[in-house]
Parts: sequence; structure tokens; C-alpha cells
Amino acid sequence: MENFSIRTENLKKDFGAVSALNGVSFDLSAGLLHGLIGSNGAGKTTTMRLLAGLLRPTAGSVNYFSGGQPAAFADLRPALAYMPQQASLYPDLSVAEHLEFFRELYRLDAATYAARSAELLEITRLAKFRERRAGQLSGGMYKKLGLMCALLQSPSVLLLDEPTNGVDPISRREFWELLYGLAAKKILIVVSTAYMDEAERCSRVHLLDAGRLLASGEPRAVLKEAGAANFEELFIKKGARV
Amino acid sequence: MNLTLKAFVKKELTQALRDVRMRALMFGAPIIQLTIFGLALSTEIKNIKLAVFSGPGDAMFGRVADGFYSSGWFLRAGHAPGEDPYELIASGRADAALIAPAAGLARSAERGGGRMQLLVDATNATKARAVEAYARNIIAAQAAREYGARDDAALKFDVRVLYNPAMESSMFLVPGVMGMLVCLITIILTAMSLTREKEMGTFETIVSAPLSNAEVLLGKTVPYILLGLADAALVVAAGYLIFGVPVRGPLWQLGLAALALVVTTVSIGTFISTVARNQQQAMLGGFMFLFPAILMSGIMYPVENMPRAVIAAAYLDPLMYFVRLIRNIMLKGGDVHVLWANLGALGLMALLAAGLAYKRFRQTLN
Repeated sequence: MENFSIRTENLKKDFGAVSALNGVSFDLSAGLLHGLIGSNGAGKTTTMRLLAGLLRPTAGSVNYFSGGQPAAFADLRPALAYMPQQASLYPDLSVAEHLEFFRELYRLDAATYAARSAELLEITRLAKFRERRAGQLSGGMYKKLGLMCALLQSPSVLLLDEPTNGVDPISRREFWELLYGLAAKKILIVVSTAYMDEAERCSRVHLLDAGRLLASGEPRAVLKEAGAANFEELFIKKGARV
Repeated sequence: MNLTLKAFVKKELTQALRDVRMRALMFGAPIIQLTIFGLALSTEIKNIKLAVFSGPGDAMFGRVADGFYSSGWFLRAGHAPGEDPYELIASGRADAALIAPAAGLARSAERGGGRMQLLVDATNATKARAVEAYARNIIAAQAAREYGARDDAALKFDVRVLYNPAMESSMFLVPGVMGMLVCLITIILTAMSLTREKEMGTFETIVSAPLSNAEVLLGKTVPYILLGLADAALVVAAGYLIFGVPVRGPLWQLGLAALALVVTTVSIGTFISTVARNQQQAMLGGFMFLFPAILMSGIMYPVENMPRAVIAAAYLDPLMYFVRLIRNIMLKGGDVHVLWANLGALGLMALLAAGLAYKRFRQTLN
């Protein structure tokens, strides 16, 4: 598996008169679980969509690296999975039908598909809901199905936009267990979240507020440097509009 | 078949066919609409309510009135003695009133002017014209009976009505209505299905998958082309079974014409979806195209009767070419000149529409 990393440089994105991102630079080093932390409207989704190549920056750049060497987005694209924040599944298709559809989108052969879907159904514990339609899944199961569809192609880069938003605490914890399992495979994972307690679960955090980067680094180091006991306190100290 | 395309075809068909309402919309509605339009959109004017005002003992006028009622076009509209004929028409109890001359018809004819009065309600001009035409024929026939037949004219017609000998309007209308229904269903379904994906956010997932733009576009349109063709076949079968509208031309002509139309309309639906933000807008956008397209297609009103500017616009209407094609194939047996001229025009439109849809689609993706 290739070792991808991403670096943004002075990333800016305007939507008409509204400036969503205003000069953000951070490093998404390879093989780690990165958290993009910030309140609603901080610019998390815009950042994610820029990373996924769905938007073009107004100024600045997103640079991709493979094994430390600069790489084109086209090289990374086949290995990239992006899970959007909004409900992005088909309510009238079942769990199994979703997997089938994504299998063919990612052009997986039958053997790979069989092994991987069995593994994913196992770890997400959705195996007994194979025939259930996505519209009838609970919030947590729905997010897990979204993750499963994204993971079906065994990506080397996984971008998850607020995967735990609106999910109950137990399902959230389960979801994070899943992410730890993935992080152990040394793939680059970027998770955005507005839940401050989730920041401490990441190996690197990048704190966003109103389109600016407040801090970036290893969670405990970031807290220590700011002299804050937790991330809520940190955001308040930095004058963020939490 | 390409695996991605297969995945999309399977997914779209599963989604479209799973929903009971969608099934009803795609397969039930066309048949119901075809039946209703075929029966109701009759250009023949029948059941005209005629009131007759005659003086006492006017036998000749009575025979004229009988001529009207026995023609099959008119119904008897009763009225109270001494009622005002204008009042009768104003209140809608009669569509027309036939009034005898005060002196009686026979006497007024002897004096050289056998004039009766016919009042016609022309709020519906088409109906009024039909009433006038019927009345002239009936009076002429009656005059021939009263004063002896004059069948000694030097110049006469020997009329033979081709392709639709009974001149049933359903023969003419049903093929047109078929085109209209296929056009309506494909445009609305395609535009709605693409905007639904945009609305739900699923479009973003598809776009972020490693697929080319062409694959996404084909994946979202080919299923609707297939559904559109299935609908075309269904409607042709229904037209034959319900109205006895024949298919006199070869089926391959019908298939090619339907394919060209469906590719065009699916492309138009795609184009609408790139402009619309949500399903409501897609629906309204679809109808913004459909209403003028149907009115200018010649399904109900002959294109030749329209003002020059409208005729020019009608030449941009894919449905117009299809209606010419399908009438030619179904009723006339598929004259090749009509076929290639219109199929060429429609095919060109299909290519243009598909190209334009692809260009817009790519722009909105990036």
C-alpha cells in the first residue's frame, strides 16, 4: 500500500462574498489518524472537499505526496475514499445492494469483493441487516454503511466528513473503535468533527475556527502549549466563537 | 457491457421499479392517459344542443328540424313556449337555436328567400364552425329533397379517404399522444433522478469515486433510455389493443424513431437537471419545455396553421419530427422519404442535445 500524505499551503476558498477558508496551512502526515476540529461553519467541510478534489481553491494549494515524493491528484484518486457529511446513501436500496453498487463503481473482482464485504459486515456488525433498506437503518448503522461503502475499495486515504454527527454516544464509541482498527493499518485518515471530546482520540489535530487554523499538532502537545485542560477551554481561550 | 454502466443500470432500474408509485407512473399512467386522450381529444364535434323555435303548423320547417336531429350531431334542447332563444344560449341550455321565419318556412321560400335564423354560441369557435358546416350540409340535403335532387352537375368529386377511411380522430391523435407521453415520462424521470441524487448528496459520493465524467453521465442516462424505450413499446401495444391503431410500417423504423426521440428527451432531462437545484425546479423546468413542445408538435393543432414565427420554433421541437415519423410509420406504412428526412432531423437533434447535456454536465461537475 502506498504511503500518501497531504500538505495544504495557505489554502483559501471564497463562495461569492463569503470567505470559507482564509489561508490555512497544515500537514496531513502519512499513516496517522488526523482530526479536523471546529464548530459549525469553521470550514471543515470546505477543507474536506478541497482535499477530495471536489472544489478548487481560490488561492493556495493542496499538495499530495506519495512516499514523500510529490504526486499528482490523479495518482492518489483511485486510492482515495471520501464520505460526505450529508446523508449520501440511497434510502430505497438495501445494505447488500449498496455494497453491490459500490463494488461495481470501484471495479472490484468477485473474490476481493467477497472477502472484503464479509470482513466489513463483520466489523461493522451489519451482517444481519444485509437486506434492510438504508432508509430504515438507525443513525449509527447508516453512518457505518456509509463508511463500509467508502472502505470497500481499501483506500489508502480516507476522508470522513463529520461521520459521528448526530449519532448516539454508544454508536459513536463503536464508530471510533472501527476507526482505530483502520488506523492500525497505517492508512491516512482525516476525520472532521465538532465534538471536542473526539479531538483527543486523534493522533494529530488541526483546529479550525472561522476559516483560520488555530493550532495544529499532537493533541496533548497542542493543549499543553495553549495551557488548556481540554479542547473546549482551548477554543474559548483562543477567542473562538464556539 | 462496461461494469460501471451495468452497476448504474441495475441500481436505477431497482430503484425505479421497486417503488410502487414509480411503477404506476411509468407503466400505469401512460395507458390511462392514452385511453383518456384517445377518447376525449376528439376533433369531431358531437352532442350539440339545438333548440328549435317554430311557428304553428309549419310542416316544412319541421322536416328541416328533423333533418338536424336525425343527422346524429345534434341533441334536442327543450324550452318553454315563448322563451327567448338568446336567453337559452346565454344560460348554456342550448349551443345553437334554429328559428323559423315568422310567416312559416314554405311561404317565405315561395317569396324567394327561404331564410331561417341560426343562432350559434361561438364561445368555442371550433365548435361554432363545426355547427355552421353541419347546418349547411343539412339544409342543402333538405333543399334537394324538397325541390328535387340535382345530381346532374358536370363536375363531380369521387372522394376516397386514404389511410383513415372512417376519419376517426383517434387514428390521428393516438400516435401523437404516444410521442407526448414518452417525451413527458423520460424528461421528468431523468431530470428528477439526477436532481434527487444532488439533493440527497449521493451525487457527491459518485463523483468522488474514480469514474470518468462520461461514465457517470452514461450511467445516469442509459437506464432512462431503456425505460423510455420500454414505455414506447408499451404505449404502441396499448394503442393497438385499445384503439386498434395499426402499425403498418416496419418495426425497425418505429424502433429507430423511438430511440432518436428518447435519446433527445433524456439529454434534455439531463440538461434541465444541471440547471435545477432541486426536484421541484427540475419538475417545473421539465414542464417549461414540455408545454410548448407539445403545443407546437402538431399533435393537436396542425403546425401549418401556426404563424410563421411559431413554425420556425416548431422546427426546433423534437416532438414535431417524432409525431410526423410515427404517423407516417403507423398509418401510412413508413414512406421512406418522410422517414429519412424526419429521422435525420431528429437524429441530429439527439446528437446536439446529448453533446450539450454532456458539456453542461461536465461544467457543473468541475
